[in-house]
Amino acid sequence: MAAATLPAWLALQPAARTLRAFCTAVSPATRSAIPSPRTAGRTSRYERPLRRKALPPRTEKMTVDLDWPSVYPVAAPFKPSAVPLPVRMGYPVKRGVPMAKEGNLELLKIPNFLHLTPVAIKKHCEALKDFCTEWPAALDSDEKCEKHFPIEIDTADYVSAGPSIRNPKARVVTLRVKLSSLNLDDHAKKKLIKLVGERYCKTTDVLTIRTDRCPLKRQNYDYAIYLLTVLYHESWKTEEWEKEKTEADMEEYIWKNSPSEKNILETLLQIEAAEKNLEVNKEELLGTKEVEDYKKCVVSLKNEGDNEETLSQYKESVKKLLQLM
Amino acid sequence: AMLTRTSRLVSGARRARHGEQHEGLHYNIPLQDMRTLFPHSLPPRFSMQVKTFSEACLMVRKPALELLHYLKNTNFAHPAVRYVLYGEKGTGKTLSLCHVIHFCAKQDWLILHVPDAHLWVKSCRSLLPSTYNKQRLDQPAEASIWLKNFKTTNERFLSQIKVQEKYVWNKRESTEKGSPLGEVVEQGIMRVKNATDAVGVVLRELKGQSSLGGFRLLVAVDGVNALWGKTTLKREDKSLVAPEELALVHNLRKMVKNDWHGGTIVLTLSQTGSLFKPRKAYLPQELLGKEGFDALDPFIPILVSNYSPKEFESCIQYYLENSWLQHEKAHTEEGKKELLFLSNANPGQLERLCAHL
Repeated sequence: MAAATLPAWLALQPAARTLRAFCTAVSPATRSAIPSPRTAGRTSRYERPLRRKALPPRTEKMTVDLDWPSVYPVAAPFKPSAVPLPVRMGYPVKRGVPMAKEGNLELLKIPNFLHLTPVAIKKHCEALKDFCTEWPAALDSDEKCEKHFPIEIDTADYVSAGPSIRNPKARVVTLRVKLSSLNLDDHAKKKLIKLVGERYCKTTDVLTIRTDRCPLKRQNYDYAIYLLTVLYHESWKTEEWEKEKTEADMEEYIWKNSPSEKNILETLLQIEAAEKNLEVNKEELLGTKEVEDYKKCVVSLKNEGDNEETLSQYKESVKKLLQLM
Repeated sequence: AMLTRTSRLVSGARRARHGEQHEGLHYNIPLQDMRTLFPHSLPPRFSMQVKTFSEACLMVRKPALELLHYLKNTNFAHPAVRYVLYGEKGTGKTLSLCHVIHFCAKQDWLILHVPDAHLWVKSCRSLLPSTYNKQRLDQPAEASIWLKNFKTTNERFLSQIKVQEKYVWNKRESTEKGSPLGEVVEQGIMRVKNATDAVGVVLRELKGQSSLGGFRLLVAVDGVNALWGKTTLKREDKSLVAPEELALVHNLRKMVKNDWHGGTIVLTLSQTGSLFKPRKAYLPQELLGKEGFDALDPFIPILVSNYSPKEFESCIQYYLENSWLQHEKAHTEEGKKELLFLSNANPGQLERLCAHL
């Protein structure tokens, strides 16, 4: 409506008074009627700064299928009037709800990724495709990638608008390798895991080395490769003091020479003595099927911990062993 | 409410023959037996219940039945088998142990019952250096209490069993070879200083003699994980005491080893009194630790779980019969469902809930 879109300064002219009345009649969201003291003197009208009426937020004009990357093309703070979602954030008062998004400082403080929706990322990828080369056709499965390129290097480059192009975070280099692709025997693998400690993940069998002690990325990469080489060679060597490995150092439970073995042997010997079989061979006793079964159950109990299954298997094997039924 | 099937077994002498069909029913222990067998040892809430109802009723449940089955088929020439009752808090391990003890008492076994091994490793007022072995520590108070209770439980055996060695207590007193075990117990009760050593002697004698076949020995320890855990006792110089330095613990450990025959060992694990163990821990390895497991291996673990629907029903019926549940909705189906949901069929929880109704 022409009347509604008249800029405010036109209303200053006395001739527009009728127009203003027309305005108030037509659009309900008008500016508040300025009271009659205006007519008192012209000077007051010019001094008082006139305010524009607050426009309705942009969200009301948004359709469902609009082009979102154009609303948030870059990382920008959260604008409640530009985001059509009814987000609430904040700790609620008693019997209340979290605060609404208008004027919500919490929503401003947190980082938002409204500029990185899947649509936006697809567009970025399309734009970057021109600069990329083809993926080699022979490497079409994960296993082949693993086989030919067991070591994976992760580096990050940072671009920002600022006075300098350097970013200290860019020198970090992460080297990941699966231990199954390295040529390690049992002792070497255990020694390597003990040497690296926290950097090895048991569930995925991946060794991760993260270096950032040198100032340049290239130097860090060389250092990481050097570390891997040294670890590999050291774990193959056996030192003098490794013979003193105690039971507390063992990673998993070994049945041989364990207290459990001694207990079971004593028990079995006593049983045999009770049955008046005096000439019994120790190896024979330990070689029976029940003892094998028992041994497996104890090993699984110790290594996996207690759960219903292991405990019930253990129970069955002990019952068979001690001939209870 | 008219009950078509009573939740009680009115068996008197047939107590020894509990079988599968009795599962879920309650059976009565005469109060006379309660006083002899369990002078000190029931869980506090259960003894309050006994006082209120003026009768002691235990429910016959699967774990106890299983244990009784094994006990009936034990070969006493083989080394003693160890059974470990484990389960979450409040599922009925201690009461199952009491059931087994009652059964064995009826069969005339000698009962060696330690009601709560945790009491021996914490809050002890008097620790004395041991008279027998300089490196160990004595606990006269706990030892004398235990001796008194042992005497009450096993009166008739004390005159039958004869000691096999001479024991010298101090310059003036000694027990000759061949005198009845009752004298050792008396000595321990009267001379509190020697109580711990008296306990040690009793244990050693019983172990040695049960193999001879004169009697059957049941070793029942509740909270056996205390023997291998940590203690909260300190010496005068504030250094922590390890469990093996306590003479009582040392002797009890020897007792639960399976190098003797002629009896059985029934143990329970308990988190409730234990020190430094998380509240949710109930599995054997968690509570026993590596040392405890190696010492008890091989043992038969028996899980004690929450009530099955039949047992739950039976427990509610028992409370209703004794007019324990006063709430008017307690005997309706919905009331029962609500109780089931709130307590998750956990016996301890159910008992606490019903106490409010």
